[in-house]
Amino acid sequence: MTNSDVIVTESITKVYAENGVPVEALRGVDLTIRSGEFTALVGPSGSGKTTLLNIISGLDAPTAGKVWLSGKLLSGMSGNDLSDFRRDNIGFIFQAYNLIPVLTVEENVEYIMLLQRVSKAERHRRVAAMLEEVGLKGYANRNPPQLSGGQQQRVAIARAMVSEPAIILADEPTANLDSKTGSDLLEMMNRLNTQTSMTFLFSTHDPMVMERARRLITLKDGKVESDESK
Amino acid sequence: MVTLKIAFRNIFRQKRRSILTALAMIVGFTLSSVFIGWSDGAYSDIIEMFTKNRIGHIQVHQRGYLDKPSLYKTIDGYESTGETIGGIKGVAAWTPRVYSAGLGSVGAKSTAVQIIGIDAAREVDATRFDKKIIDGSKFSVQPVREAVLGKGLARVLAATVGGEIVLVSQGADGSIANELYEIAGIAESGDDITDRTACYLHIGDAQELLVLEGRCHEIVVIVSNINRVHKITKAIEAGLDDSRLDVAPWQVVAKAFYRAMQADKQGDAIGRIIIMLIVAIGVLNTVLMSVLERTSEYGVLRAVGTKPAQIFWLVICEVLIIALGSIAVGALLGASINHLLSIYGISMPQEFTYGGIKFQTMYAEVNARSLIIPAITVVLAAAVVSLFPALKAARILPARAMRAN
Repeated sequence: MTNSDVIVTESITKVYAENGVPVEALRGVDLTIRSGEFTALVGPSGSGKTTLLNIISGLDAPTAGKVWLSGKLLSGMSGNDLSDFRRDNIGFIFQAYNLIPVLTVEENVEYIMLLQRVSKAERHRRVAAMLEEVGLKGYANRNPPQLSGGQQQRVAIARAMVSEPAIILADEPTANLDSKTGSDLLEMMNRLNTQTSMTFLFSTHDPMVMERARRLITLKDGKVESDESK
Repeated sequence: MVTLKIAFRNIFRQKRRSILTALAMIVGFTLSSVFIGWSDGAYSDIIEMFTKNRIGHIQVHQRGYLDKPSLYKTIDGYESTGETIGGIKGVAAWTPRVYSAGLGSVGAKSTAVQIIGIDAAREVDATRFDKKIIDGSKFSVQPVREAVLGKGLARVLAATVGGEIVLVSQGADGSIANELYEIAGIAESGDDITDRTACYLHIGDAQELLVLEGRCHEIVVIVSNINRVHKITKAIEAGLDDSRLDVAPWQVVAKAFYRAMQADKQGDAIGRIIIMLIVAIGVLNTVLMSVLERTSEYGVLRAVGTKPAQIFWLVICEVLIIALGSIAVGALLGASINHLLSIYGISMPQEFTYGGIKFQTMYAEVNARSLIIPAITVVLAAAVVSLFPALKAARILPARAMRAN
């Protein structure tokens, strides 16, 4: 493992018990992703993309194997430590946007910084800059249900990036969007990836994402089938 | 702060559910408040009647008299003792009494009587004795060998105002005490048991009959605030500083009555617990539903770095905010209903007796207890029932929770 390796997995396996029947979702996944990469995890449904993403982010625990994020071993961390680690190191973008419906756009973007106890002035400065970056200046006081799907996903991107985490994990970020909106968002994320040192890891089966990703890791039946850099 | 903000907004997000939860709490609070106000009002009336009409708030006797009453256990020089008591802060009135058992005869009819020697003027101040006279003239202030009979005793002896009664008893000097008295009036104290045997004499007449000049058996004390009775009892003890005297509050004088009342109050507590259990079950159901519906949201909050404890407090805060709002509304309703019931009361279809005292109309009371106890109960019930859903939300596995969307 080198200093530039932000995500390292070693022999990750995950077995679910579906109605008492064990189902192997991941079968020994070894992966190394370096800082600043724009990587897509691809593969058919049920190949284990989301499961791997969940395990990498500490949202789920592997049945066996180890995960290091920014040099830290996730297994063995307590619930609180994992929460703190995610808060400070990982930004999430979900397929269903998953904004907090009772908070405004500004409050949603600000939320993680509130958990981090960032000062009010700094929070406002960063939120304003981020909303401008994602093209939502003037939407700060809207509630998520008042926004289109594309706009909500922009808010989610702003929320994920505003605290400048080392890693952005995006689970099918374009799946619920039309192709034009999806393409615009991908362009934006690509640009932000270039501008910052943040590492992007997508799970997707959207050809647009695959086209723009600079590295493609294909999963099949819970195993890495191929790993290509462009 | 952000937890409070989310909790507060979540309440308005699910208005119908929040209103249902609040309604359960408001109804529980109001019922509990009226229950307490009503029973406290009733007990206050009973205590007021029982003490002010009969035994007073505090009694002073010679040591041991309460356990084993005797003609010979007297307070000597009671006038000066009474004056000392009257000078103590919080004492509204005092009155001496002489007691003895005897035989009363009117014409050919005879029965056992309790001779009660009272200071007519002081007894009016202390126990409103004049209000108890239902027939005949007011009791003479000076001893003129007059008697006032209890209503029941008058009935037993077929005695009427203007007639005569012969009393036979034992004098403190060992002599046979007997005297003839004119029946000046008939009294009804509201206590049937007392009224069946009570034969009131002027204290001077009673002392002469029983050869107890300058002595009495009991000094009854009325205080201006019954809630301070224990403090005033101690002040009287300190003021008298006489080891030969016992100073006892009404709770000690009427132990059996007091214990029966406490037992009744405990019974009321069970009623309140049942009300709050019903409320708690209603609240638990709505909170559980709310947590279940928002599983995915809690998963997202956990994913972005919210700690389990913060999720836990989010759920608890939501319930507590509703509880506080409900308490405000419930307090307004409970206090208003208790206030109305304290003015108009409720007439019972039938007169009932408690501690030998008859009651027809029951009045409620507006007091701090009727607001504080339901408030504590609602907050505790809400907090306790939301513990399980809050723990459930806090222990959520983010990945699994988000799949619930």
